[in-house]
Amino acid sequence: MTGRHPPFPPVNAHRRFESLVMPHLGAGYNLARWLARDAHDAEDVVQEACMRALRYIGSLEGADARPWFLTIVRRTFYDWLQRNRPAEALDGARLDALVDPGDDPERLLLRQETAVALADAVGTLPLPYREVLVLRELEELSYKEIARVAAIPIGTVMSRLARARALLQRSPLLQAVREPSAGMHG
Amino acid sequence: MNCHEATTIIAAVADGEADRRMRQALADHVRDCPDCASAQQALADLRARVRAELPYHAAPPALRARVLDAVRQQAPAAAPRGWRWFGAGGLAGAVAAALAFVVVNAVLTARARDDVIAAAVTAHVHATTANQLIAVASSDQHTVKPWLSARLDYSPPVPRAEGSGFTLVGGRLDQLDGHPVATLVYRYRDHVVDAFVQPAGTHPQPAGVRTIRGFHVVPASDGAMDWLVVSDVSADVLQAFARTLAAPEPAR
Repeated sequence: MTGRHPPFPPVNAHRRFESLVMPHLGAGYNLARWLARDAHDAEDVVQEACMRALRYIGSLEGADARPWFLTIVRRTFYDWLQRNRPAEALDGARLDALVDPGDDPERLLLRQETAVALADAVGTLPLPYREVLVLRELEELSYKEIARVAAIPIGTVMSRLARARALLQRSPLLQAVREPSAGMHG
Repeated sequence: MNCHEATTIIAAVADGEADRRMRQALADHVRDCPDCASAQQALADLRARVRAELPYHAAPPALRARVLDAVRQQAPAAAPRGWRWFGAGGLAGAVAAALAFVVVNAVLTARARDDVIAAAVTAHVHATTANQLIAVASSDQHTVKPWLSARLDYSPPVPRAEGSGFTLVGGRLDQLDGHPVATLVYRYRDHVVDAFVQPAGTHPQPAGVRTIRGFHVVPASDGAMDWLVVSDVSADVLQAFARTLAAPEPAR
């Protein structure tokens, strides 16, 4: 009964939380912010994730606090997405199920206006690609850690990371930044 | 190594995931393969830009504060037993404490038939969760005793209980079933021990150790004073301590 869903935080939970999880609140927020693409939503996700982290704090080994917490933040985000933006959640799931993602994401990028910042290009990446890229480049997690956080095999981490980078490289946004005169309006 | 293999390894090398043998094999390959060499360069360029241009979103300070508040509200109510009372960083807000008190109190009163015992445990839990453990903080009995005596119509003994492993840390006033009572606060390892002391006969004393929600209540008496000792310290240790308290003070 208390196995999967402990109803209450365990003994000393808040102390452990403050010493083990609080140092990684910034990482959790950064991930949530990149996934949700909205500051307010990211705060909601992080706060909910923290409550979950508190309940499950007993399962945390000290050294793994950051990937552990990021795993919870990511999971919380997808649950939140399901509740608040079901259409977007569905897109992510469909993409997840595809063996070959096809050209859809590229078309998604092509539809964007040129001459936006790289950050915006990353923001338009489909979630499964965006999350591995953010975990790798901003959180600097290893393939193994990303695999754990995103609950996918390492091979999938590598292919999604490659896909994310290919999408960015081929995106017209990058071309536009390289040749500023082409698409800028001043 | 062919170009197909190289594509995967270029990324692994860039991400620091390749061993020395792989790095060497890739270096050998790109020396003779302009396509793969340019792919490697393109990835390096992209990564440099990503790292330079992607903002790392910092958590707002208000979020930090909100999370801490919420966490402190959650934790104490759920786990009064074994809580590290001292140095726990305090509890956030009277609301959280009052809530914890109401919850614990409701459970206690439902289960406890003996009003005084329930009141003693409730007072103990309330004081610890509300962070109002000690009104006069001192390990000196000559500070604690006058403070208590000035506020009561009796003068409670304040044993230091030296050598017992228990340390006097202070005192406060409580009410037990309508009677003001002196509460001596001791510390045993990480546990807090409340010793309620009243003139003998103020309340009917329980016959032996009672346990409510993990807190032991141990009675003791020296004929003049009745003691109720409350803590989550193990019952036998607490009983020995209660006997020490009720024993006449050694002459000085």
